[in-house]
Amino acid sequence: MLVLALLLVSIGMLTLYFRESESGLAHRVQDTALSVVAPLQYGSARAIQPFRDGWNWTADLFRAKSENERLRAELDELRAGVAEELVTQAENDELRSLLDMERKKVFPADARLVTARVIARSTTAWSSSVTIDVGSDQGVRRYDAVINGEGLVGRVSRVTAKAAQVLLVTDQQSYVDAIVVPGAAQGIVAGSVTGDLTLQYVDKKEEVKAGQYVTTSGIEGSLFIRGIPIGVVETVAVQDVDLYQSITVRPFADFRTLDIVSVVCR
Amino acid sequence: MPVTPRQPAEAAERAWPTWADLARLAGVLLVAWLLQTTVAPNVRVLGANPDFALIILVCVGLLRGSEVGAVFGFVTGTLVAASLMQPLGLSAFAFVIVGYFAGRYAETADLSTGVAPMVSVFAGTLLADLLILVAQYLLERQVPLGFMITRVVLPSLVLNTLLAVPFYVAVRVALRGPEVLRAHETA
Repeated sequence: MLVLALLLVSIGMLTLYFRESESGLAHRVQDTALSVVAPLQYGSARAIQPFRDGWNWTADLFRAKSENERLRAELDELRAGVAEELVTQAENDELRSLLDMERKKVFPADARLVTARVIARSTTAWSSSVTIDVGSDQGVRRYDAVINGEGLVGRVSRVTAKAAQVLLVTDQQSYVDAIVVPGAAQGIVAGSVTGDLTLQYVDKKEEVKAGQYVTTSGIEGSLFIRGIPIGVVETVAVQDVDLYQSITVRPFADFRTLDIVSVVCR
Repeated sequence: MPVTPRQPAEAAERAWPTWADLARLAGVLLVAWLLQTTVAPNVRVLGANPDFALIILVCVGLLRGSEVGAVFGFVTGTLVAASLMQPLGLSAFAFVIVGYFAGRYAETADLSTGVAPMVSVFAGTLLADLLILVAQYLLERQVPLGFMITRVVLPSLVLNTLLAVPFYVAVRVALRGPEVLRAHETA
């Protein structure tokens, strides 16, 4: 009887959680819990960091050889593309001056970067998120973009006073407006439960090749500013029966070793 | 070695914890919560995070019976989900079932071989993973079975099972008191 009652209460909580708004009771309870846990997670993350670094360093040794070969091949390709790129750049500048357009910087003048440390990671395969040690007290707001030195990391999904949860671009509920460069193919970068990124809704007429870069498009209504690097096109497949191309993207950011990130506050 | 008389399974099943026992259980709950919310998110071995809360829950179920196991599972699941921003109620639902069956196993099976903690944690992890897998399917999330089995379920099964014995010993020391498992072992 007791067990049955507990199961019913659990189902009731689950129903409430998915039916209520983000400002509902269950979500407020979670925000309070995160405020309590965040300082403890910060301490734990700092204590575990040397062990994590040691483990990652060892694992990286095994990966280094194949990574080195891949990077060499990529370097050769990039060298070949530099000359072509210089010509394109010159043409681009010329056209911009003709159109009297100013070259936009990646981040607008009113954007402020807030540096944060990752203090916890999601423990289930169902969600890809991290908790960072800055919150509304530092000016962080929901939907702010989160980046690191390599590219786009994700967006802020929950905020408390001193901590925030970041939904990674690899999460299956993450969708980012993106553009392939060089070129103009637009699409949506979607995460998945396996952690792979795909570029969806790219018209079959657009020419997309492996090795091209994918950045945020910054189109009107997008959460992200234009030009934040996301990753590089890995494979492109076109099937007669599909409306769109099937494109996989390898992210620039290494989500396994995320430590320091920046929140783009606007 | 003194032999503890066997407690009737029914009596052990219905024996509610004393205040001292409740205090010990609260202490174990606090440790489980702290480990799961502060250490587990930063530890990844074999591609999986250890589920300290589940391991400790199974140990409590084995040592204190099905009803205490179910209540402990509910509280642990709720606290962990609230702290780690997971959907409230999902872990609690899975943990109630795992805690209850771990307790039933201790109350009804012959545990004299001493592998009960490993078997129970293995079965508990499998059960919890399957329940959450089904829940995700019902919530219309992507559930690629091959990936889930090879990259999620198997690593967590191996990792949790390896951690079962040291945690069982630690929880047994922390709870001291009369044990359902001991009653069966010495029967």
